[in-house]
Amino acid sequence: MKMIRNRFGNLSRVSVQLQRHVQQMATSAAVAPAEGATINEFRTAVANPGEHSALQLAKFYTIPAEQKKQIFTGGGLPKQYELQIKTFTEACLMVRNPALELLEYIKGADLTKPVVRYVLYGENGTGKTLTMAHVLHYGALNDFLLVHVPWAPNWMKRPKEASNAAGQEGMIDLPFDAAAWLVHFKNQNGKLLQRLQLKTGKEYVWSKRESTPAGSPLLELVEHGIARIKYASETTAALISELKQLSTAGQCKVMVAIDGFNAFFHPITRIFSDNKQRVTPDRITLTQPFLDITNYDWTNGVCILSVDKIAMTEGYMDSYMPRYLLGQAGFEHLDPFVPVHVDNYTDKEFHSYINYYLDRHWINKTPQGFEEQLKFMSNKNPYSLMQLVRAL
Amino acid sequence: MSFLSRLAVKSSGFSCIRRMSVYPQHYAEPVVQKNKQIEQKSELAKLHHVPIKAAVNKASDTVFHDDTKEKMVNYITKKGNSALARSLLSKTMELIKRTQTEHMNLAKGDDKDKINTNAETLLKQAVENCRPLLQVTAIKRGGVNYQVPVPITTKRSYFLAMKWLLEAAREKERKVSLPEKLAWEILDAAHGQGRVVKRKDDLHRQCESNRAYAHYRWS
Repeated sequence: MKMIRNRFGNLSRVSVQLQRHVQQMATSAAVAPAEGATINEFRTAVANPGEHSALQLAKFYTIPAEQKKQIFTGGGLPKQYELQIKTFTEACLMVRNPALELLEYIKGADLTKPVVRYVLYGENGTGKTLTMAHVLHYGALNDFLLVHVPWAPNWMKRPKEASNAAGQEGMIDLPFDAAAWLVHFKNQNGKLLQRLQLKTGKEYVWSKRESTPAGSPLLELVEHGIARIKYASETTAALISELKQLSTAGQCKVMVAIDGFNAFFHPITRIFSDNKQRVTPDRITLTQPFLDITNYDWTNGVCILSVDKIAMTEGYMDSYMPRYLLGQAGFEHLDPFVPVHVDNYTDKEFHSYINYYLDRHWINKTPQGFEEQLKFMSNKNPYSLMQLVRAL
Repeated sequence: MSFLSRLAVKSSGFSCIRRMSVYPQHYAEPVVQKNKQIEQKSELAKLHHVPIKAAVNKASDTVFHDDTKEKMVNYITKKGNSALARSLLSKTMELIKRTQTEHMNLAKGDDKDKINTNAETLLKQAVENCRPLLQVTAIKRGGVNYQVPVPITTKRSYFLAMKWLLEAAREKERKVSLPEKLAWEILDAAHGQGRVVKRKDDLHRQCESNRAYAHYRWS
């Protein structure tokens, strides 16, 4: 009793508590696999996405805390899902059909051929981002260099800062966002980059006094971009062109994952140029490298892109189909691609999810027929289900 | 409407008091929840030939429904915006559940079962813990106002408990959201602590110290 009283003593104490929980979580999650040895019918012990097959369909697997920290620290999981992870004190993902389909394609792909583009599409809240997270986990475990943009529309809709690009006339730089992306890239690939010992192919001159000579490690290039935020956008472009060349030369494998890719083809952004006009996405320096790496003129890689209705703004959100969302230019840029449809839960998946919620004590009310009610109310849509059960 | 009320006056015999209700007095309250229908089967059987009021618009028999929650939504509502009130309460429930579930998942061994993660029962418990038995009213005797303890009805005690909980939750800094503070107050009250329970105790204490004036209620 007294313990609980202390817990809610005052708000500042609550926040301290929360911080403490984060620490506790980090320690307890490390020992979780040993403790949670009981495998229910909706869980699977196979934690390697490479080994997932139809056997594990609709079952939950746990991402180890370390790997989650490595891959998803800079984004990649939806905010609300992160909250769930914190509440449930474990990072669980459900093995679902679109992810399995995608993994099968990637495993069977001939990497010596030009890259194949996979486009995830589907209604709002069906799990496109989480499907991508599942595949990213596979990529991280299988020595792919991850070129991951957690949510591209952030650059077009709410950039930290926009300034005029130094080198190119009429272009807009997003220095802070570019630097943040470089940090994200370094977090995800730091270990692998050290192991692979990748070198730059040519010299980059940033200014009179600063330059990165040819043959310097790739990590140095990244760190330069992070340290000199002014040149972060240019560094990003340089890094991506280097990655393309290196992977074509067979020195590394690259997995490109861009969430909300259609934002690059949106008719307009929320960034204003000097003459108070809204600029188009192609006038942002960050757009170019990411369009470049989704081209098919390189090998030894895979591209996983998602097109999303909420990446657009009002008036452009009528359909979730790739042709509509990408527009003429975007569709022609990606053509030919492999579409992967992410759909609502199947009955089996829905049942499994309800069981998981019950197991985590997230649903406390179980009158007769509640599952049917939830199914009807949510239309088996993952996001609506999450919203509906939050007050139960 | 007016026709019905006229009917109501007529059907209530010779009494000349006009009532506000559209329904005559002998109309029975509807029972919407299925499990309650099964529970009160024998009593309801008597109502076979009694006219029954129509169910209100928001009555429902889903997992989401709960009488206490419904009442609370009514009290939170400002300017008829009950959709907002509902979302605020469900956010509160979520926050309560989130803290409790996290504690439970972090707890080990026996402590695990002791933690209640059901936000609805916690809300009910909180309201129970905040209910007063008596209150004081000012009664003038000999030119002096006395604070006289008077008993209150069950209904009013529930009303006061929820009102106090809400008042406590609304007394906050602007940065803190209502659901956050309300969740905190409910959790406090459910464990028999916090400002609202203290307010109830204070009231009881005042009634106790003013017991000498109790007879002013009738004399």
